[in-house]
Amino acid sequence: MSTPILEIRRLNKHFGPTYANKNIDFTLKKGEIRGLIGENGSGKSTLISQIAGVQSPDSGEMLVDGKPYSPHSPIDAYDHKISMVLQELGVVGNLPVAANVFLGRTKQFTKYGILNKKKMNRAVAEQFEKWDLPMPPHGKQIGSMMIETRKLIELVRALSVDPDIILLDEITQSLSLNNREKLYELLKRLKDMGRSAILITHDVEEMIEITDTITVLRDGAVVGNLVSAETTPDEIKRMMVGREIEGDLYRSDQSASFDDEVVLSVKNMSVEGELEDITFDVHAGEILGFCGLSDSGIHSVGRAVYGLSKATPDSVYLKAKNLYIKNSTQALKNNVGYVPKDRDTEAMMISDSIRENFTMPSMNELTGPVGFVSPGEMKKLAREMVGKLSVKCESISQQVNALSGGNKQKINLGRWLAKDLKLLILDCPTRGVDVGVKAYIYTLMIEAKKNKIATILISDELPEVLGMADRLIVMKDGKMTGMLKRDEEFTEQAIIGVMI
Amino acid sequence: MQKELSVSRGEKRQNSVLIFLLFIAVLAVIACIVDFLTDGMFLEAKNAQVMISNSIYPTFIAWGLCFLFACGYTDLSLGGVVILGSFASCAFGNAFGYPGVILGGLVVGTLLVFINFNIFAFTKIPSWIASISLAMIYEALAVFLRANSATKKFIDVELSRDFRALGQFPVNLILLAACFVIVYFVYNRMSIGLNIQAIGGNKAVSKSLGVNIPKTLLLVGLICGLLIGASAVIQESYNVKTTALSGLASIQFIFKPLAIALLAQILQRWINIILVVPFCSLVIYAVFNVMTFFGIPSGTLQDVCLCIFLIVFGIIGQRGVKEVVK
Repeated sequence: MSTPILEIRRLNKHFGPTYANKNIDFTLKKGEIRGLIGENGSGKSTLISQIAGVQSPDSGEMLVDGKPYSPHSPIDAYDHKISMVLQELGVVGNLPVAANVFLGRTKQFTKYGILNKKKMNRAVAEQFEKWDLPMPPHGKQIGSMMIETRKLIELVRALSVDPDIILLDEITQSLSLNNREKLYELLKRLKDMGRSAILITHDVEEMIEITDTITVLRDGAVVGNLVSAETTPDEIKRMMVGREIEGDLYRSDQSASFDDEVVLSVKNMSVEGELEDITFDVHAGEILGFCGLSDSGIHSVGRAVYGLSKATPDSVYLKAKNLYIKNSTQALKNNVGYVPKDRDTEAMMISDSIRENFTMPSMNELTGPVGFVSPGEMKKLAREMVGKLSVKCESISQQVNALSGGNKQKINLGRWLAKDLKLLILDCPTRGVDVGVKAYIYTLMIEAKKNKIATILISDELPEVLGMADRLIVMKDGKMTGMLKRDEEFTEQAIIGVMI
Repeated sequence: MQKELSVSRGEKRQNSVLIFLLFIAVLAVIACIVDFLTDGMFLEAKNAQVMISNSIYPTFIAWGLCFLFACGYTDLSLGGVVILGSFASCAFGNAFGYPGVILGGLVVGTLLVFINFNIFAFTKIPSWIASISLAMIYEALAVFLRANSATKKFIDVELSRDFRALGQFPVNLILLAACFVIVYFVYNRMSIGLNIQAIGGNKAVSKSLGVNIPKTLLLVGLICGLLIGASAVIQESYNVKTTALSGLASIQFIFKPLAIALLAQILQRWINIILVVPFCSLVIYAVFNVMTFFGIPSGTLQDVCLCIFLIVFGIIGQRGVKEVVK
């Protein structure tokens, strides 16, 4: 692990007056797994997207194997054996798995202009088998698949070019525990093969465990290069935010505490092909956690309760309002909020402004008697929330797609907190956010608990549900397999036991 | 896993064939019932022939629309293109025989649709807006050619009896079968077909993964143009004379093909879209044929039914459609 494969020298990138990357220098060696960490908006994704050819640097140079490297597109990067799973890239929802993996590279399966689909399907199955990843349903359009499956398909697409360097931007947070383990194994294999990886994740402990070296970014600049085995989470956090972060992120009490009043009562709820016979109550001031391995159905629970999927009739009873939730409009009108896992696709209007995104769930409250929506009131609410949540933006008119992941998530969650909620459903609320924003989101959840809001917390992160939930429902294959209450025995081992 | 995969593929293919056979069986049963209700007139050889012949040229337009929809575009000027293509087919056919009939329609159809796609690809104007303007231009051109004394004598005439075979049964059916094979392969078995569908699914991702967007769009223009040109040739050979339309009336040329394409989009969950289009075309024309048998006036109530079909097919076709994922 001594020969450099990628060298980055004095790389600069700015958007208008804002420096996204400032004089970045680092060297990636063969067989090295390097982590990139920093707060949201610190320039990690911008840096990695320049290496991937999605964006071009304003100045500076990159060398691959000692030769100048200036990619103009991800295809250029592929040609240099650099592949990626990035936030900017994605999948083509109306195509099946094989077409997504080999899109733009189908010549190898073409003879006399005719595409040999059998050969292409065989090749994709071989790739999934080679990397020991679960093969998704073969002929199905991947738009209908879960975000985790789509990320795995992107990962296989990146691996299928036999890369010397693989760039992974926040992939682990889309994966459930078992697939995350597979990814770690895969990285070890790549390392053994002399391949290199650059990995972005907001999970500091995970980064220390799976990387060799860590580059910490703050305000677009490198503030330190660390050897993973010689550093601590606290040191990294301190370097990321420029100050000491003390104490635990999660709630400190060790026992469940909530009111007797039942806010939501779910009885024998099923969703065809997704959930079977789900029954639970959520109380005022309670945080009810859901966890499970991939395909356990935890994410379907949120959608079904909020009325987004076709659940058993009269199975979701909002006791606080004395009604059965039938659809999302009814849920919204009756003080139920939902923060989905797939933020950019299912939650945000990413081409619209911060103002529109903040005010959309509160439209009923902002609309006057004759249907007039006061622009002044909209601005006032958006400004208040931007200030309260410290959203880093130019103005409330800025488009949401220009914001970093963490700031998007602040809007995604914060807009519900502007309402007088009875029930809040959170599906992976800290996915793709840094430690600072994470701590802030947990603070908001504790505040919501104090305000007697019932919260359903669905998460792929065991420490998160352990740290925040009063009670925890474990699921497997669309069914509930156990329920645990917050006490001294509320541990990862106990949960994994029920989970598996 | 390899074995599992091939088993599931085999099962899938078997299911598709079964569904297709079931679809044909259902159509046959309905046809028999309708035949009974119309005292045997519906399935009379002559009536069946008329229905089939009527349904062929819209099938070509519907195939063209399938390509357009697959890459996320709409072209409302296709009716105008068919009119101009038919004029060319007639004028050159009467002058040069079959080569003139075929090349006249194909060249004009391909050229005009290719121009349309250049405009869509490079100006970035929403295609439905650009195509309405183009429809008006093509209509105006058709009216001008029809009114101008120098060109009227070539256009305002019937296609000679000697060169009408391409629109007559069973030559038109043979042409349809031959074109089906080509269109099926292009859409399903060639990289261009895959790229077209990828652009429609997620343009940005497709571009990032190396799909040449302008080149693909121009190729769609070429393929779609050839299909519209072929439609013009068959239409002229079958109807022998085409009327110039104005005030966007040419859009009605694509109403039935639009209904066909939308119905095919619904059925594509079970049957390949290119395969199902000719059957959908036959179904739509059969429905109108039955309405005529039952005395429902054409031009008024039949048109209302067509519009209702369009809306219903559109609604069903969009059910369960997810937005582009990232």
